[in-house]
Amino acid sequence: MNSEQNNKPQDTEKLKEIPKWMRRYAQNRMLTAFVYLTIVGIISMVITVPVMCLIVAFVKGNMILAGVGIVLSVAVMIFLYIFSVTKLKILRWIDQWIYGHEGTASIPALELTKRKKWLEYAVAMVWLILFIGTMDLGMEGYISVKYVQPISALYCVPFMVCSWYFWQRPKMGPILLLSPILYTMHAILIIVGVPIFFTGQLGAAVNMSLPMIGYGFMSYVIGHFYSRYALKKLKGIIHLEGDAVNGV
Amino acid sequence: MEFDKVIHEPVRLRIMMILSGVEQADFNFLLTTLSLTRGNLSRHVEKLESAGYLKVKKSFNGKMPNTSYQLTQKGSKALAQYWENLDAVRQLGQP
Repeated sequence: MNSEQNNKPQDTEKLKEIPKWMRRYAQNRMLTAFVYLTIVGIISMVITVPVMCLIVAFVKGNMILAGVGIVLSVAVMIFLYIFSVTKLKILRWIDQWIYGHEGTASIPALELTKRKKWLEYAVAMVWLILFIGTMDLGMEGYISVKYVQPISALYCVPFMVCSWYFWQRPKMGPILLLSPILYTMHAILIIVGVPIFFTGQLGAAVNMSLPMIGYGFMSYVIGHFYSRYALKKLKGIIHLEGDAVNGV
Repeated sequence: MEFDKVIHEPVRLRIMMILSGVEQADFNFLLTTLSLTRGNLSRHVEKLESAGYLKVKKSFNGKMPNTSYQLTQKGSKALAQYWENLDAVRQLGQP
C-alpha cells in the first residue's frame, strides 16, 4: 500500500531530484554569513571612532581626548579578539537564531591543508593591498575617480571567483558568483558612459566600497531566498500521503 | 531481482535521498521536512542505522542536545543499487 501510494514511477523519478534540491537548500542558507558580515562591518566602522579621536587629539594636543581614544582603542581590540576567537560559536548561534526552527542540513567546506590556508591569507592580503592602493591613487588624483571601480574590477573579479572556487565551494553555492558578475557589469556600464559613480574627495573610496559591499550582500540575500525556494521544492517532492506517513 | 526492503519503504527512501544530497542533516530538519512525529521518525532512523546505512552523531548545540545523521558508504552503495534495480524493473515493464 505504502509503496503503491508513494513509489509510483512518476513519483520515484521526482524523488531522484531530492539530493539536487537538498544541496541547493544547504548551500544557500546564506543569511547567517550576511548577518555575521554585517556585524564585522559595524565593528570596522566602530574602529574608526577611537582612531579619529586619537588623530584629532594629537593634532590639537588634547590629552583628555587622547586618553579617551586610547581607552576606546584598547576596548575595541579586546572586543575584536573575543569576536575572532569565538567566530565559530557566533556563526552557530546566528545560524540557530535564523534557521534553527527548520533544523540543520549542511555541506562542509573543503578541508584545507596548512599550505592552502596560508595561500588563502596571502591572496587576501595581496587583494587588500591592491584595493587600498587603487583607492588611495584615486583619492590622490592619480587615477580618475570615474575609473577606479573598473580598474579594481581587473583584480577584484578574479579574486572573488577564485575565493569561491577554491575556498567557499561546496559549502556555498554558485549564487555567490552573482557578486563578481554584478561588479563586472557595473564596471562595463561605467566604461560605456553610464554615470553610476560618485565624485568628490571620498568618491574613489565610495565608488569601490559601495559596489563591493552592496553586490556582496545582494548575492547573500538572493541566496537566502533561493534556499527558501529550494526548501519549498524539496517539501513538495518529499510530501508523503496517507498511510505512508505512519508506516514503519 | 529483489528490492532492499529497508530502503523501499517510502519514508526511509526519502531520508536516504535527503542525506545523499548533503554531508549531514539533523533530527529537527528531517522532522520538519518530512512532517512526521518524533516517534515515527526515530523508528525509521533506527532501522536505517541498524542496517548500517546511517551514522549517528550526537552533540550539543549550546545546552541543547543535537542528533545529526550521515549516510554511510554502505548506505550510499545500497541506495545506488536500489535505483539501479528499480530502473531495470521499469525497463523490463516497458513495451
